[in-house]
Amino acid sequence: MTTEQYAIPGLKNVLYIDLTSQSYHIEERPDLYEKYLGGIGIATNLMLEEYKEGTGPLDPEMPIIFSTGPLSGVYPTCTKTVALFRSPLNGELGESYAGGHLAMSMRYSGYETIVIKGSSRYPVYVTVHDDKVTFRDASSIWNLSSAIDVGQVLRRVEPGAGRRSIVRIGPAGEKGIAYASVNVDTYRHFGRLGLGTVFGAKKLKAILVAGNREIKSPDHNAYKKMYGKLYETIVKTGLMEKYHNLGTSENILVLNELKGLPTRNLQATSIESVENISGENFAEKYLIRRVSCAGCPIGCVHVAMLKRSFSKAHEYETLNISYDFELIYALGSNLGVTDPEAVLELIDACEKTGVDIISMGVVLAWATEMQQRGKISTEEALGLKLSWGDKAAYLRAIELVVKAPNEFYAALGKGVDYASKKYGGEEFAIQLGGLEIPGYHTGLGNILGLTVGFRHSHLDNAGYSADQKAFNQPISDEKIVDYIIDEEDRRSVLNCMVACLFARNVYTYENMVQALKCIGIEKTEEELKELGKDIFRKKYELKKKFGFRFENFSIPKRFFETISTTGKLEEERVRKAIEMYREKRGV
Amino acid sequence: MAKRLKVANPARCIGCYSCMMACARTWYDTISLKNSRINIQTRGGIETPYAAIVCHACVDPPCMRACPVGALTKRKGGGVNFNKEICKGCGNCIEACIVGAIHLDAENKAVICKHCGVCTKFCPHDVLEMIEVEDSGELKVTDTSPVEDTGPESPTASHKELYGKKEAEGEE
Repeated sequence: MTTEQYAIPGLKNVLYIDLTSQSYHIEERPDLYEKYLGGIGIATNLMLEEYKEGTGPLDPEMPIIFSTGPLSGVYPTCTKTVALFRSPLNGELGESYAGGHLAMSMRYSGYETIVIKGSSRYPVYVTVHDDKVTFRDASSIWNLSSAIDVGQVLRRVEPGAGRRSIVRIGPAGEKGIAYASVNVDTYRHFGRLGLGTVFGAKKLKAILVAGNREIKSPDHNAYKKMYGKLYETIVKTGLMEKYHNLGTSENILVLNELKGLPTRNLQATSIESVENISGENFAEKYLIRRVSCAGCPIGCVHVAMLKRSFSKAHEYETLNISYDFELIYALGSNLGVTDPEAVLELIDACEKTGVDIISMGVVLAWATEMQQRGKISTEEALGLKLSWGDKAAYLRAIELVVKAPNEFYAALGKGVDYASKKYGGEEFAIQLGGLEIPGYHTGLGNILGLTVGFRHSHLDNAGYSADQKAFNQPISDEKIVDYIIDEEDRRSVLNCMVACLFARNVYTYENMVQALKCIGIEKTEEELKELGKDIFRKKYELKKKFGFRFENFSIPKRFFETISTTGKLEEERVRKAIEMYREKRGV
Repeated sequence: MAKRLKVANPARCIGCYSCMMACARTWYDTISLKNSRINIQTRGGIETPYAAIVCHACVDPPCMRACPVGALTKRKGGGVNFNKEICKGCGNCIEACIVGAIHLDAENKAVICKHCGVCTKFCPHDVLEMIEVEDSGELKVTDTSPVEDTGPESPTASHKELYGKKEAEGEE
């Protein structure tokens, strides 16, 4: 069945927005949607079409592509939007996913995919109210100190409450911090790889998408039944219990116990007093509510309340801050911070300034070790002394990185790879492919996964999960490679839908085939699997164009010095596994 | 026995919109939030709790009195029955409902809750409930025993059957 034949609006449109001329147009691309369905499949192909050899990440011609999928706004937990861009952090494939209300708003606005090109002469924000696109002057909200406040202003001046999504940058994006993030609604982000930086370079402060159209299924009864089945699977089986209960921060104690939790710049993989920053402790002492992305009955967004006294007369301010595993690793264990309130304050500072928290945490951890080794002088740090667990110093450091008052802090704002090439300490700059690592040091699967992954993210192929299997029952390195390949392809398909990866075991190939069928899209399991492989080839083609070469890849020594969940890793073993992967993949 | 919808535990809302989608799916045969008769709203982003805007099943409904063509009649259990055929789309009912629970659909017909309860089946957090009321719509006094404990250990704890306990195998 072609896309023309089913009555789902938007499944052929691509909205092109040009910030330079402040104009827009719509192109119909049923050819693309028919083959690639949506999400990463569409975005990858559009990027290949748009990318002109030699265009830098922050050049005006470099596009930002947002795409949702055929299941977005249609089935539960299909709540994500993919953003594709060229990363200003490592020059490579920039790919990031965010939840919140964006996918549903885009879907119901009728634009499943949005391509943003050009750059504005002055700060602007763009609104999409159903089919109407407007450009508005954002000078008065440029320079606001908090990305949270930007949302509050736009909520006041723009209509569409409850049906809209507001994505915007904070000071870090405006100032060109290479790992600036984009805040989506509240507590959700396009976090990794510097989409916020690209926004800033385009002088694009925010985008508001509001949609309130209807979608019709050609077979409503079949759709209703399928919705019910998926909903029941999500809320009545154990498949997603973990995300609903303690959330991902459940892993803090687990990884600590297994010696897999990066601590003090990965000098260790477990930390004393870990119970203070455990998911259990956050839940018992600080968790006040959970919220969901629009269209997901799980409610995995864990919101903590931090009550701070600011006078002797019993006066308090309260902050509502969301936390999860990666944040607790990045601003907790990896900085030697085991005071949960300090972790929350550090999260809040990053949230306001709009930076990727994992990258910021790793940058600060590296800087701390550099200072301790006497490789960075106190003068270079403008008098600030960083030491493990020192919240006050880290809060100031976050501010200084964003304000970049001297060369040293400016270097920190370009990422740990850049800073370590400039100042030394590359052997303990814990990055792979120029991206600061997430909170796992579990062994071969993890390092291999981060190395070969499209965007060097744990979400590309969940290499840590292969290690977990290997820990429970020894498996060959080849099996680990195979696991990573299968997982990459499966995730590529899920990312066309664009389902939340927490629901990856709900959206099995079988369920995806059925869910698509019930809205009039015929695909077989084999076709979906082939789609995953096709996307792999296309993404590697893109990576190559952006300059990625296995030959240039180096792995910092620290990864081989610190014990992991599955023991100490040998460099040679990793090299061999990479070769095996390349051979099997033909890359 | 008459029943009506009630927002029993508003503070437990996670903003998943499952109820709204269920309503539109059931009564409009669409996939949307637009024609849901109940409305989950944010108040200044999700830093603050959600508001569930739901027909209050008035005993003496002002929307009914405001309707010039008699499309709204009293419903057993409070609220109104709606006769779509004769609705002219004047919007007087919208004005009359200060709760904000009525809107017009694309054909200019009122979208108004009929208290069927399908939304409660898709609320994973016990925010929405169907309660028993008098035929007139007046609230019924049924319980006179001490208020039941809803703590996690109690027999009446929230969503006991939801979110099963079994872990997904081998997944982080």
